[in-house]
Amino acid sequence: MAMRQTASSPAPRRRHGWRGGLERNASVLFLAPAIVYLVLVSIYPLVYSLYLSLRQRTLTEPGNGLFIGLKNFSDLFHDGLFHKALLNTFLVTAVSVALELIIAFAVAHVFAALAESRTAQVLRTVFILPMMLTPVVSGLLWSYILNPTLGIANYLLEYLHLPPFDWFSSSTTALPTLILVNVWQWGPFLMLITMAGLLSIPREHYEAARLEGARWHHIVRFIELPALRGVLFIGGILRVVDNFRLFDVVYAATKGGPGDSTEVVSMFAYRQMFNFFNVGYGSATTVAILVIATVLVALASRLLLREEAA
Amino acid sequence: MTTLKRCRYLPILGLISLFAGAASAQQVDWKKELGTYSGNTLRIIMIQDPWVGAFDTIDKEFEALTGAKVTVDAFGYDQTHEKEVLVGTSGSDEFDVIVLDSPWVGEFAQGGFVEDLGPYVAKDAKIVQFADFVPSFQTVSNWKGATVGIPFGAYFVMTHYRKDVFAQAGLSVPKTIADVEKAAKTLTKNPKFPGLYGTALNNQRGAPVGQAYFEYIFNFGGKPFASLYPGSPDPYADMTPMLTSKESIAVVKYFKEMLKYEPPGALNFAWDERATTFSVGKTAMINAWSVRTPGFMDPSKSRIADKFATTLYPAKAGVKVVPPLGGWVMGINKASKKKALAWDYIKWFTSQEIHKKFVLAGGPPSRLSTLQDAEVRSKQPWASTLFESQAASFADCRPRIPESFQIIDTIGLYISKALNNQLSVEDAMKQANAELKTLLKKKGYMIHE
Repeated sequence: MAMRQTASSPAPRRRHGWRGGLERNASVLFLAPAIVYLVLVSIYPLVYSLYLSLRQRTLTEPGNGLFIGLKNFSDLFHDGLFHKALLNTFLVTAVSVALELIIAFAVAHVFAALAESRTAQVLRTVFILPMMLTPVVSGLLWSYILNPTLGIANYLLEYLHLPPFDWFSSSTTALPTLILVNVWQWGPFLMLITMAGLLSIPREHYEAARLEGARWHHIVRFIELPALRGVLFIGGILRVVDNFRLFDVVYAATKGGPGDSTEVVSMFAYRQMFNFFNVGYGSATTVAILVIATVLVALASRLLLREEAA
Repeated sequence: MTTLKRCRYLPILGLISLFAGAASAQQVDWKKELGTYSGNTLRIIMIQDPWVGAFDTIDKEFEALTGAKVTVDAFGYDQTHEKEVLVGTSGSDEFDVIVLDSPWVGEFAQGGFVEDLGPYVAKDAKIVQFADFVPSFQTVSNWKGATVGIPFGAYFVMTHYRKDVFAQAGLSVPKTIADVEKAAKTLTKNPKFPGLYGTALNNQRGAPVGQAYFEYIFNFGGKPFASLYPGSPDPYADMTPMLTSKESIAVVKYFKEMLKYEPPGALNFAWDERATTFSVGKTAMINAWSVRTPGFMDPSKSRIADKFATTLYPAKAGVKVVPPLGGWVMGINKASKKKALAWDYIKWFTSQEIHKKFVLAGGPPSRLSTLQDAEVRSKQPWASTLFESQAASFADCRPRIPESFQIIDTIGLYISKALNNQLSVEDAMKQANAELKTLLKKKGYMIHE
């Protein structure tokens, strides 16, 4: 029907003059605002960062900006604090994303099963509240709650006759505490998308599986996980990228300490750029972070595509 | 590399001020001294410290005199520094008056971000009365002969101690490092004082513990850099780091030892956390900047309002005390288009008459006349300790060179590693020493290998 209509309709006449030109270039014109926005907000800063990363530039020393090639990058890869920041970032990312995926999957199951219940709807809203908090507020909030002397967390532990915990105040517990706060804040994001994925699985699949005698772990392994693979992958990738930008909570709660136990790459870059105003070295850091994150995402995407193809 | 010259205006200003001393007691005819600026807005950027509220009350008088409107934008410490540097580097005229902390003076002067106020001061010497400012703060406000700002918020670190607890425990006023250690040991987990800890130091990584190092090093008889010490003819002539000296190691070992007498979580304590533990009665003594003292005295904010006293910063027995000095000066943004208005405001605000009003409204006294004023002393009983502190203070107790922030942060990182047992004290200071050597050498300072 559609083909007949197309065949019977007259061929579009080619317009001439300014109106024709406008139509021919309409797609470009519609894209123009997005292109201008991208150039201003993403491409120009990126190119400028690349330019700065090749220079010895300190903002508080007017007139400097000597071209030094890749020296900033070479210094960076010999900088012990940057190594520690990278290691911490990888640790926070791996543990946070893994925990978030597990918790999100479990909680999404509960909420998906109780999707019609009004109580569950209220609880779901409460569960996603942390995600709506500004990260710096969340950092401050937790640094007050977990303050070993004045915070409510240790007060409750004491009330229960349990020993106080150091939370952010010791180099052995600070990073796990940071991961805890990170999971608390962003677990709900993965829960939401996992729940949406679960609700999109046709009920018939479950019914058929149960008729065949499948148990819950068979359903998870052979129905839910394959169906959710794409959703979980996208969610996981977004969280990996987010963790490479993790800054606010660290800034508000620990400033990278005690020692260098919670130093992450964003905090390292911030300190170089805005505390020491070493914009050349700081730019090299941001470029390195971008490259590392991009390589990670590209590798993960390739892996997924290969599995999909198989 | 850097040679700190004496301010070329200081001797002249001092003389003029002495002769003008009689005039100081007189009221200034502000209508005559200030211009008219109806329709103009003066914008000030500064730290969000407890006295910011006093500006609202006092500035109304200036607005009535000149017709100008005054707005104050106040931020946290790091953000103030960041915003002010960005204003300077971008040549923005968003702010007219820039309020600077003492360690930033060299950075802003060398960056060319602020006006040299020397000629302005010389023109209005009778009003400014420069020689009346705390002498060490006169030095702080000058960099290589240029007057970077006019002092208005001089701070000193004082020892604040619970006089009731000390009396009950039979302890004397903590004057020396040994006194502090003994008192902390006696009072921590003492059944007579349940829940009380001896003290709390700045142990948090970065500026908090880095600055604490500079507060203690001179009082342990050491020096952080070869020529940086009280009485040095040129504090920045030889910047060879001395972080591995026996005095320097002793400072960090002292920090580590004192952790035994500090509340749980003290490893992440900075200024705010320490002040809170003192004001809620969890610690028996703390060394704190004088800007916090009014808060400790305020019964609506403090449980120990009438139970504490102040004394001079502690030093090792036999070492001349060097009370840490800090605080704020007002400079004029080089890119400001309202420099006449900005100067009129600064000379008015920092004058003897208005400065006293500011102090009575909660501001930190920064003039010798204010520190000795009977009315001020009755309202701020700790002014006598401040007066004693200023006489012994050293303007460069925290370096004022452009690299100051990075130096303090680097030392702060390595001390934090030592306090957290990530490194031994000796290794931490060795690594910090090597890192600072590389940094300062790269920046062109004289360093001995």
